[in-house]
Amino acid sequence: MKDEHLRTKRLVYYTEDLGLVDKLLGEFLKLASAKSIYLVDKDGHLVTQKGHSQSINPETISALVAGSFAATKEMARVLGEAEFTVMFHQGKKDHIHISLVSERAITAIVFDDQTTVGMVNLYSKELTAKLGKIFDIASKRAVQKEQIEEDYSDSVKERLDDMFKD
Amino acid sequence: MQINYAKKEVSCKLVYYGPGMSGKTTNLEIIHEKVPNQNKGEMTSIATEGDRTLFFDFLPLDLGKVRGMSTKFQLYTVPGQVYYSSTRKLVLQGADGVIFVADSQAEKLAENIESLKDLEKNLDEYGLKLNEIPLVIQWNKRDLPSAMDVEELDKEVNWPGAATTEAVAAMGDGVLPTLKLAASIILDRLNSKEPGAETKTAKMSPEDKAKKEEVYVASVNADKISRGYFNQYCQAQYRLAAKSDEIDDFKKFSPEDKSKLLESLVNHVLLLQDAKSRNIGASPDEVEAQINAFSKRFNSSGDLDGYLAKRKLSMDNLRNEATKNVIIGKIIKDIIPDVKTKLHVSDSEIAEYYNANVNKFGGKDLEGVKAHVKAGLKNKRKKALLGAFFLKLRENAIIEVYKDKI
Ligand SMILES: Nc1nc2c(ncn2[C@@H]2O[C@H](COP(=O)(O)OP(=O)(O)OP(=O)(O)O)[C@@H](O)[C@H]2O)c(=O)[nH]1
Ligand SMILES: [Mg+2]
Repeated sequence: MKDEHLRTKRLVYYTEDLGLVDKLLGEFLKLASAKSIYLVDKDGHLVTQKGHSQSINPETISALVAGSFAATKEMARVLGEAEFTVMFHQGKKDHIHISLVSERAITAIVFDDQTTVGMVNLYSKELTAKLGKIFDIASKRAVQKEQIEEDYSDSVKERLDDMFKD
Repeated sequence: MQINYAKKEVSCKLVYYGPGMSGKTTNLEIIHEKVPNQNKGEMTSIATEGDRTLFFDFLPLDLGKVRGMSTKFQLYTVPGQVYYSSTRKLVLQGADGVIFVADSQAEKLAENIESLKDLEKNLDEYGLKLNEIPLVIQWNKRDLPSAMDVEELDKEVNWPGAATTEAVAAMGDGVLPTLKLAASIILDRLNSKEPGAETKTAKMSPEDKAKKEEVYVASVNADKISRGYFNQYCQAQYRLAAKSDEIDDFKKFSPEDKSKLLESLVNHVLLLQDAKSRNIGASPDEVEAQINAFSKRFNSSGDLDGYLAKRKLSMDNLRNEATKNVIIGKIIKDIIPDVKTKLHVSDSEIAEYYNANVNKFGGKDLEGVKAHVKAGLKNKRKKALLGAFFLKLRENAIIEVYKDKI
C-alpha cells in the first residue's frame, strides 16, 4: 500500500514498555536528585515525563528540546562529528541536560543546585543504556493487541468540527 | 505520529511550509486566536526582530479524549526565506502532513515553485515523496489584486496534485478549513482508509462564506457592514494614504485606529445613502474623468499600473475612491448652493494666516507660499463644512457599532 511507509514510521509505545520506562525515570530522579525528566521522541512528541516543574509546559519543552537537538545534530554533521550525544545548558537556578537515548528518543533533565552536572551525567548514562535496551526489545516485538478503535478517525473529525465552530 | 497506549494518547505533527512571507505564521496566529482556550497551549515563536520566522513557530492543540485516546495536534511553521533550507529540513522531521501556504500574487509564482521544490528535496531526505505525504496547498492572500486565478495557480504550482484551499489568512478566512482538511487526510491514513477519498479540492463553500459574512461590525440605517468588507476598507485606505511605496501586505491596526476607520466607513455609507435619496450618482464618465485627473500625475498609463501594483491597489480601489469624490463634490454643491463663495479664500485671510504662522515657513516670503496656504485653508474649510454635514446626517440616522466585533 502506498502509505505503508508512513504507517511503519509511526511511533507506537505500548503500556507494557512504558510502565518500565516510567519506573526507570522515577528511580533516576531519586538517584541523581534532579527535578524533572522528559522523554521526548525526535519528532518533538512527548513520550512520558516524571517529576515536578511548576511552569513548564511539557508539550512546548518537547518541541524545543527536539528542535535544538536536531540543530545540534546538524552542527555535528557540518563539523564532521557523527553526533553530539549530550547537550547541557546552564542557567542561574535551573539547568537542563539533554541526551540522546536511541535512534528515536531524547531525554531532557531539569535540575538545580541540589545536585551537580557530574551526577546527572553519570546516572543519565546508566539510564540511557537501559532505555536503549527497552526500546530495542520493543521495536522487535510483534504488533500488540492494543489498537485504535475503528471509528476513531471519524470521531476526531467530528471533534474538530465542534472545535472550529465560530 | 506518536501513538502512546500507556498514556492513551495520539499526537500528530503538522508542518506549515511555503515561501517567505506567504502567511504561515499568520495561519498559526489565527488558529491560536480562534480555537477555544481549553483546546490550545501557548504559541511559541523563534523569530527575528522583524517577525520573520528563524527556526519555527509551535502551537500545540489538544482535542481532548476521543474514543478513549487523548488526541493532540502539534502545529509547526518553517522559516520561508530561501537560505534557511537546512532549518526547514529539521522541522520537517517526522511530519505526518504538510500544509503548503502559497502566496497567490503573480509576482510570487517563482518563489512558490522554488519552495515546493525545496519541500520535495527535503522530504526526499526522509525517504518521503510529495505525492505520498498528506499535503494540502493553501492559496493564500486571495484578497490582493495581483492574485492569480486559482485554476492558473493549480496548473503552474500544483504538480503533486494535492488538495487545495483558498484563504485570506490575515483576515482569518480559510485558515480553519485548511487545517481541518489536512487533519482529515492524516486521519484517513491512520485508520488506513484508501487515501484520496476526501482529497477533493475544498473551496470555501457558499455556506462557509455566508457564515463569515454574518459577522457585522456596524449597521447604518439598517445597512449592515460586514467585518470582511470593513477589513478590506481598512487595507485600501491604508494603501491609498501611504506616503511611500514601502507598504505591508497586511497592515495591522490598533483598536483606536480601527475605531477611527470604522467611523470613516460609517460616514462613507451615510454619504452614499444620502446621495441615493437625493438621486445623486456618479456616471461612469464622471468617474473616468476623476481617474484621468489623478493619472495626470504619471507620465504614462504604465506608470499608473506600476503605482497601483506597488501599492497592491486594484483599479476597483481607485474607482471606489473616485466615485466617492464625485459624489461628495455633487452633494456639496447640492447642500451648499453658494459653495464657491463659501470656499473662497481671500488674500487678506492668507496674509493673516501667514503672519500668525510665519515661523512655520522657514523664512520664505508670502508670495512664495501663497498657493500652498490657499489650498490648505480651502481644504480646512471644506472639511469643516463636511464635518457639519456628517454631524447632521448622523443625528438623523440609526447607527449601531459592534465594538467587540472589530
Ligand atoms: N493581504 C494579505 N496579507 C497577508 C495574508 N496572510 C498573511 N499576510 C501578511 O503577510 C505578511 C507575512 O506573513 P507571515 O505569516 O509572517 O509570513 P510567513 O510565511 O510566516 O513568513 P516567514 O516566517 O518569513 O517564512 C504579514 O504582514 C501578514 O499580515 C493575506 O491573506 N492577505
Ligand atoms: Mg513565519
